[in-house]
Amino acid sequence: MSLNYQAVLWNRQKKIYDGLIVLGVVLYLGMFVGVGSLVRPQTTIETLLIRGFGTLALALLHVILSIGPLCRLDRRFLPLLYNRRHLGVTMFLCGLFHGVFAIVQFHALGNVNPLVSVLSSNTDLSSLSAFPFQPLGLAALGILFLMAATSHDFWLANLGAPIWKSLHMLVYVAYGLLVLHVVLGVLQAETNSVLTLILAVGFVWIVSLHLLAGFGEIAGDRELTAAGSDRFIRACAVDEIREKRARIVCLAGERVAIFRYDGKVSAVSNVCQHQNGPLGEGKIVDGCITCPWHGYQYAPESGASPPPFTEKVPTFNVRVKAGEVWIDPHPNPPGTRTEPAPIEGDASNG
Amino acid sequence: MADRDPFYVGYLDRIPAGIAGRTRLAVAILLAVGIALGLVLTFAQSSFDEGVFEFGVDREFRGVVIEKPYPMLLIPGTSGDARVTHYLAAYGKIGAGKFVDGLDGQSVRVTGSLIYNDQQRMIEVHTIEKIEGDTDDLKGLKTAAETPLGRMTLTGEIVDSKCHLGAMKPGRGKPHKACAIRCISGGIAPVLRVATHAGEVDYLLLVGADGSRVNRDVLKFIAEPVEISGEVVRAGDQLILYADPATYRRVVTGSTYELR
Repeated sequence: MSLNYQAVLWNRQKKIYDGLIVLGVVLYLGMFVGVGSLVRPQTTIETLLIRGFGTLALALLHVILSIGPLCRLDRRFLPLLYNRRHLGVTMFLCGLFHGVFAIVQFHALGNVNPLVSVLSSNTDLSSLSAFPFQPLGLAALGILFLMAATSHDFWLANLGAPIWKSLHMLVYVAYGLLVLHVVLGVLQAETNSVLTLILAVGFVWIVSLHLLAGFGEIAGDRELTAAGSDRFIRACAVDEIREKRARIVCLAGERVAIFRYDGKVSAVSNVCQHQNGPLGEGKIVDGCITCPWHGYQYAPESGASPPPFTEKVPTFNVRVKAGEVWIDPHPNPPGTRTEPAPIEGDASNG
Repeated sequence: MADRDPFYVGYLDRIPAGIAGRTRLAVAILLAVGIALGLVLTFAQSSFDEGVFEFGVDREFRGVVIEKPYPMLLIPGTSGDARVTHYLAAYGKIGAGKFVDGLDGQSVRVTGSLIYNDQQRMIEVHTIEKIEGDTDDLKGLKTAAETPLGRMTLTGEIVDSKCHLGAMKPGRGKPHKACAIRCISGGIAPVLRVATHAGEVDYLLLVGADGSRVNRDVLKFIAEPVEISGEVVRAGDQLILYADPATYRRVVTGSTYELR
């Protein structure tokens, strides 16, 4: 998981995923340029490539931004998430080709440096119709570059999860900039309202998905406060947890994943140390809690990744009484071994 | 026996059967939507102007140089004393000033690529040299009288003559605005593109009230609907609009507009 770094740890799933990405990119560009040159013979190959790469990058960004909330709403989308960074790098490369071609086309071979030209040709902020849209695209491309360049786990480990996560949340800033780039740019010259409609549907789709997923998270975050005689809090009934799966509860502002396995119950922080994935939506595989996002694993008793890996998550002291799970809301330091609570009467409890 | 609780782990070679089928369906739908989206976008984009840039084609022209306000070449027309005006530009977004410096009124031989649209012509100059010898066919080209057409108020879009005639597709409107600014600031002649009541397009070369070049002064009006009042003259096959850029004004604000 995090011991050594290689550019890409190829496996069959990754090869299939990347193969499909390449197939989709080739099909889209081939169709856009091929059909475009037939139905718009007056245009040039440069313009078709600029538009083909630009529209493809924006379409891929919609797919990328949809995968996260779709997985929150329905776990069946999780296979799309595992290699999402490959999709992200592909999207950045499409955006880069769009940007480079556009800068060469519209700004090169002039009387100033092309990048200076992007920022200085149009500085009219007095109206929406005049507003310079190309610097917005350049700013978005800069963000996407930072994200693509730091997409490898090497950077996640060295920057630390909070910084890395914050950096990658800038994708929403990039998305906003790109929507404005299109609205204030090409849509001002195009007269077909279908183009505006497509962008609007995409925007509403992204916002709605995130709101739906967000509301779902909030609903599941109701704080548990039913404390017993000591500081333990009743979390749930044992029967509410499926074998080798977990139930997520909210204690003292933190999500806790309570796993049931082999006649026992253990509780760990719900937050994976890799990319903050929801461990409670994972499964016990080969005796380890396995994150549903990228498969990072932790021993349920200790919250520690199996050697030689070094990730650790906080654990929680847990009890089972009369078929109910009780949890001490105070987390143990990451990697602290705690005794799993045996489930009375469970046949698998040896 | 099938796993009743399948779980996907990306680094394992095999995807559980129950998950694989749904994933294949999702990917197929995604690819289909992507292709459909591309098709819709392809057909929904506007048509492009018909201009032609004979990039890579080197032609030879004989004519008389006009150095100011903008570099041009006057070439004998096919009907007697008529002349055909060709704007001149250098490679890229640069005017042809360096080529015509000191050659005003001289008979020259020019090699370059032709750019043309709507009866307007430009040459992207590769070489230029004075003609020694017989130039009788070029005499009188520069002395064609200007015919005043009166004071007019016109609404249109300021475009750079090179891109709009065919070097770029599109060569006008918001997507091309920064490029037009670059070209005109680089010395390429600015023209006002106006739609006529007959549904055709006219182009008027923009000069100051005193006939001087106005490249720097028109930059803030490029690719915007602009109203210009001034004296219009016809010089051979060319329309020229004499007006002080300080009197230009934008007439419409909004995301789109229709030239009239």
